[in-house]
Amino acid sequence: MAKGRITVLVLVAVLVAAALIGCGTQTTDVTQKAENKDVLVIGMPGEARALDPQATNDQPSARIMKQIYETLMYQSPALEISEGLVSEYRVVDDVTYEFSLPQGIRFHNGDELTSRDVQFTFERMRQVNAPGAFLVAALDRVEIIDDYTFRMILQFPFGPFITHLAHPATAIINERAVGELGDDFARNPVGTGPFKFIEWRSGDSIKLERFADYHGQQAASREVLFRFITEDGSRTVAIETAEADIIYDVGPQDFNSLANVEGVNSISSTGLTTFYMGFNVQKQPFDDVRVRQAINLALNVPQATNVAFRGHATPARGPLAPTVQFANQDIPGYDFDPDRARQLLAEAGYANGFRTSIWTNDNPIRIQYAEIFQEQLSQVGIDAAIEILEWAPYLDRTARGEHDMFMLGWVAVTGDADYGMYSLFHSTQFGDAGNRTFWANDEVDRLLDLGRRSPDPDERAQAYQRAQEIVFEEAPWVFLAFRNELNAHRAYVEGFTPHTAGHHILHQVRNR
Amino acid sequence: MHRYILRRLFLLIPVMFGVSLVVFTIMFFTPGDPAKLMLGERAPEAEVAALRAQMGLDDPFPVQFGRFIYNAVRGDLGRSLVTRRPVFQELYARFPATLQLAAAGVLVAVVMGIPIGILSATRQYSAFDAASMGIALVGVSMPNFWQGMMMILLFSVTLGVFPSSGYGTIRHLVMPALTIGTSTAAIITRMTRSSMLEVVRQDYIRTARAKGLSESVVINRHALKNALIPIVTVIGLQFGYLLGGAVLTESIFSWPGVGRLMVDAIRQKDYPVVQGGVLLLALTFSVVNLGVDILYAYIDPRIKAQYK
Repeated sequence: MAKGRITVLVLVAVLVAAALIGCGTQTTDVTQKAENKDVLVIGMPGEARALDPQATNDQPSARIMKQIYETLMYQSPALEISEGLVSEYRVVDDVTYEFSLPQGIRFHNGDELTSRDVQFTFERMRQVNAPGAFLVAALDRVEIIDDYTFRMILQFPFGPFITHLAHPATAIINERAVGELGDDFARNPVGTGPFKFIEWRSGDSIKLERFADYHGQQAASREVLFRFITEDGSRTVAIETAEADIIYDVGPQDFNSLANVEGVNSISSTGLTTFYMGFNVQKQPFDDVRVRQAINLALNVPQATNVAFRGHATPARGPLAPTVQFANQDIPGYDFDPDRARQLLAEAGYANGFRTSIWTNDNPIRIQYAEIFQEQLSQVGIDAAIEILEWAPYLDRTARGEHDMFMLGWVAVTGDADYGMYSLFHSTQFGDAGNRTFWANDEVDRLLDLGRRSPDPDERAQAYQRAQEIVFEEAPWVFLAFRNELNAHRAYVEGFTPHTAGHHILHQVRNR
Repeated sequence: MHRYILRRLFLLIPVMFGVSLVVFTIMFFTPGDPAKLMLGERAPEAEVAALRAQMGLDDPFPVQFGRFIYNAVRGDLGRSLVTRRPVFQELYARFPATLQLAAAGVLVAVVMGIPIGILSATRQYSAFDAASMGIALVGVSMPNFWQGMMMILLFSVTLGVFPSSGYGTIRHLVMPALTIGTSTAAIITRMTRSSMLEVVRQDYIRTARAKGLSESVVINRHALKNALIPIVTVIGLQFGYLLGGAVLTESIFSWPGVGRLMVDAIRQKDYPVVQGGVLLLALTFSVVNLGVDILYAYIDPRIKAQYK
């Protein structure tokens, strides 16, 4: 009997011991906010993949790396470009830019930033085939003039080059740290930013600390703790209970209710994401522009957008969100006009409509659009079946052109029209590269090439404005919506301005 | 006994091989190209093809499976396609949180379930019995995620006594442990009650009472010990199941366990992590089952005599 009791006691002890593994080791208890005003707690919907800007290009990682690393150029929350790490730059000719670095910028390991680090950064980007390497595909080489001066020489003129140098994927890394740490660099980042890396608790959080030797104004908060709270509802509760000071990407369903919570400020701002429904113009009847226009007219897009996004998106009139540089704000958009749609269909020889399909992946917003459109298209005689595919086969099969109509989105991550249009509408970008409508237009090709190569902002503006007009008229898409970015913070948080590209800057954010 | 344990440990080899084969086959035939996933949608076809060749993804199924087994035996489960870290490290980082939650959950379940089950059985058809069985039925039927959310609303939002999510302190552990513990407790309560009811009708219990033993001695020493075998089986199964990661509970409370890692990996088509995670799950389940079988021997000497 005694043996049995001992067995039970041992078992209970093991269970208790197992249950207490790791308890009490966390140095920052997130429930102790009142005493920890110096710690800024951010609730993020996803975990970072890696903290090496050349290992990944995903949003959660970029949001953390933005605090650790810096780029040669700086992009403000409103997407204005100015000098970042460099003190000045000049355009030597169409393909040569010369940059100067200020002296005394320190990496978190104490090294001084020199031209060699810049050269190393861009060389490594190509060597490791970094996901963000396409941003600087035009770059031929970096020439070092001295420790604080270097030239970037392009293979061909590339208009958005300076803008791309502000993207987090082009952040400057430290040559010695990469050499010493090897693969571990992605979990032990070394940058020049206002915060340095302290700890990564897998699946739970990443902690950063103010970098005392930062070359600019010191960070306002002593620590930033990024917590990975994947469930929308859990993130909302975290801001309600002040366990988080700021939460990113509030669920649309929670956003309205948060507006009524005392002590919480919710912010809705236009982002860079375009939602669209594309036509496969290689297939009949979508090769006929009248059919494409008719479908645009047959759909009540503002109504569908309001339902799908619960009011947190702006109905689109053209392909570029108004926040994107060179977006054409004068495009009238297609009004809801089923009579005119029927007329155009009749002119195209489809007076009795036709059968087709709408493809989407299992994204609930896209499915909701598809369901609403199915009903609205039936009003003009078009019988559209909805097919829901898994993400990977969805991308594969739309890239191969097996679809009729399809729902997709695009984020103009650089905030430049080149990124927002080239992959989607240029005839060299069919399929996987981005142009899944297989629509081609010589004039648009020429304008997009001009916009891409010209360093002259006015010339670029004109090219993109005209290209958007043509895209609108030719309607390879139904232009759906620009998604609003929804964030929230406690009222005591100071200095938080959401970045349009979602890479929020926390340098001067603090709890009052 | 030792020979029995050794034999069972050897049996793990074909079990793990079988699990590997099934998981690898499913992943092999699931649509989606890992090379494209790693390089991104914008990568040129030539680079994707080069990476496929480098990763051996163009090899026939038996070659790829053989390579996977060869590496797995040496402890190399490959690298995550998403984070590029060794899968072993990914799992190792998450397993303590899972173990902690599973152990705490089972502890809650045992502490609640067994006493209530015994009391129900000894007071069959009483108001307590009806109430506890009613509550147990609710406990079994109630979805974990709903219960978790209700607890968050009560204890975090309204009363502010426990953090709504996160990991690291005992206060973080309370609500997730109660969430998974109460549903497991409901199962254990029902099993304890039915097992005890069966035992208390046996002749030897009548004999024990006839000898004049007190009711507590009869129940705790004579009845419970004999009723424990099916209860321990259920506890073991539940523990094994929870070690696989209580996905919904982990998601609601942002608990950094293996379950969430696996779900994220499936969502992102991170094949190596899914394969490694399933192998870990199978291994822990098998080991827990072995532990339960060994425990039988300590509870019941008749079973020990059979272990040769």
